[in-house]
Amino acid sequence: MKRSLMGRKVIVFFLIPALSLIFVFLILPGVWVLKIGMTNETLTGAKARNPDFVGFENYAKVLSDRFFYNALRITLLFVLGSAIIGQAGLGLSLALLTYRRRRLKSFIQSVVILAWIIPEVVVAYLWIAFLDKDYGTLNMLLSAIGLRKINWFYEHPLLTIIVFNVWRGTAYSMLLFSAALETIPPSYLETAEVIGASSWRKFKDVILPNIRSYILTDLILITLWTFNVFTPYLLTGGGPSFRTELLSIYIYRTAFRYFKLGYGASIATVALLVNFALAMFYLSLSRRKRT
Amino acid sequence: MRKWLVAVLVSIVVVFALGQKVTIIANAIKGGKNTQVVDWFEKYIPEIEKDLGIKVELIQTGIKDEDFKARIVLDIKGGGGADILWIDGFWVPEFVEAGYLRPIDDILAEIPAWKYYYDSMKAMGSYKGKTYLVPASTDVRMIYYNKELFKKAGIPVPWQPKSWEDIIKTARIIKEKLPGVIPIQLNAGTEMGEATTMQGFFMVLLGAGGNLYDWQLGKWIIKSSALRDTLNFYKQIYVDEKLGDAALQMSPGAREKTFELFRQEKIEMYVEGTWFYTSVLNPNNPSWGLPDRDERIGWAAMPGRGKPQDPEFVSISGGTGFAVNVNCKNPKLVAEVLKRLLYVEPQLSYFQMKPFVSPRSDLADSCWTVNKDKFIAETSRALVKYTTFRPAFPVYPEISFQAQLLTERVITGQMSVDKAIEEFAKEVTKIVGKENVIEKP
Repeated sequence: MKRSLMGRKVIVFFLIPALSLIFVFLILPGVWVLKIGMTNETLTGAKARNPDFVGFENYAKVLSDRFFYNALRITLLFVLGSAIIGQAGLGLSLALLTYRRRRLKSFIQSVVILAWIIPEVVVAYLWIAFLDKDYGTLNMLLSAIGLRKINWFYEHPLLTIIVFNVWRGTAYSMLLFSAALETIPPSYLETAEVIGASSWRKFKDVILPNIRSYILTDLILITLWTFNVFTPYLLTGGGPSFRTELLSIYIYRTAFRYFKLGYGASIATVALLVNFALAMFYLSLSRRKRT
Repeated sequence: MRKWLVAVLVSIVVVFALGQKVTIIANAIKGGKNTQVVDWFEKYIPEIEKDLGIKVELIQTGIKDEDFKARIVLDIKGGGGADILWIDGFWVPEFVEAGYLRPIDDILAEIPAWKYYYDSMKAMGSYKGKTYLVPASTDVRMIYYNKELFKKAGIPVPWQPKSWEDIIKTARIIKEKLPGVIPIQLNAGTEMGEATTMQGFFMVLLGAGGNLYDWQLGKWIIKSSALRDTLNFYKQIYVDEKLGDAALQMSPGAREKTFELFRQEKIEMYVEGTWFYTSVLNPNNPSWGLPDRDERIGWAAMPGRGKPQDPEFVSISGGTGFAVNVNCKNPKLVAEVLKRLLYVEPQLSYFQMKPFVSPRSDLADSCWTVNKDKFIAETSRALVKYTTFRPAFPVYPEISFQAQLLTERVITGQMSVDKAIEEFAKEVTKIVGKENVIEKP
């Protein structure tokens, strides 16, 4: 057995603040949501005062709720498009592109990080100003070169929020991959160069195996973040006609616009389970790698 | 150190003891939504504060009605919230059921003006035998139109359609003669929230002799030919002939966008309530006001479908009013504040800033004789006899959402009219139960 740096008591002592925070702000609300999810509590009406315990009735309802499936489908497409293909793909490409090019790297990193650090509400206004049907910059440009103005939020709502989220969140993946690339010993790539390996072979046989665990870490994090993101609400409000209604927006709408607190909580629980399943999937991938 | 602490504690106690405060929340904000309401409070609050020796605070929020409702509900559920709530009358039943409002019969006993309120208005504010709301104003609904655009298109004004067909015919002319102008704005979809149900859906449905609720049988109507015709009318406007802009209805902040387009003369006809004219388009509204509103904007009564058995004209009324938070600590003071707000003089002043259809007889008389507000006088005289109210039961908001969804599914072409009605019937039955619904021929 390895000798640890500190005694058991000291470890427990140092863990208490963190654990109590997790308990108060994570576990307790989680249990609370589970509890409310088994009632028909509402925010107005008689059930606001005297909610009934309904057991798993809400969950049965969720599983036959067309809005739920709509939201789940849109969320999965959103995660696939904006997180996995978009942020991770673009982040990796940018990291490779700027690998060992100091000036280009600092320029691109500044630009990409800028998109990442602007407050969400500001970003939402910027994008609305950019994409507005009549006054948006993009449509002004399109019509200046003789093309048709496009009502982006109406005609391509899902694509719009996917592109938005890629723009918004690529910085994280890019930074992570840039750092990961730095960990590859230069001699590996130099050797590959000497024996005349093509770029693709260098990528596939040298770079990829070395940063695989970083890719998994990145995917697990951005998948979960993207799954629960709410910012697109500021752009489209979940519309038009629920075509950008992510699961998080559907939960919000159910609980705080239509005041069905209990039902909203049960959808949130299901969303939590989906998150859990996704996390498990990625963890199993990383475990398979190790063996 | 200790002295310092004592000093702070004592001053806190003193502030609490002396600084009695009454708070009022209204969905109004200076320079924006219902800006006139803020102006009015700013005029009268100092007087009341001086008179009672307390502080009266107005909490301003210029947001969507649905968001305003959520804010109030969460405030009260959390054990707080403003003392006086200026809310929509149809929220009363669900709020009362939740235990959010304080019955105000004792407060009203102190308010001399209460005896002048019309019975129908008293009914709007009461639920299960108790009163919860003092109506501040009521309204009627109609079609507004831009006279200048009509003239450009060669349509004679004043204009008064006699049937839905007349509206369609006029809209076709606008579409042909004035490209770039949306011929008609008939609210649709869930984004507009209750504004879709009241301003759009109900105004059409009533015209076909239909309703959401059968008052005699006490059942919700899930299918009827009136409902089918209503949706076909929507379909004709938004899908078949593109006389309205379906995409606009679905866009975030749709309602405010249509106000802006109407101000820019890019919408010709707009079905809306009294409020639209007296608050949104009011020359004193910096956001959407029209300086020459009285000359430029006309109104017509909303006609029925046009079949012999249909009503000639239709209107539906809502109204807002003052309710008292159940968490209110000092009802006596609230009574004093309310009493002063409801004096004739401030009420007439409010009327001048933001004219309304009056809920009380003493004001109605002085409004029509003293102020001679042409718009209110004429619309009241023409429309009050046709008007009706919503079935504002606690379950109403859920049914209303289904009605909004119904219009949305039709105007976006997601579903055929029959399919959408099928869905509506299914969902409403789920909400209220099989025994509480009815199908009509």
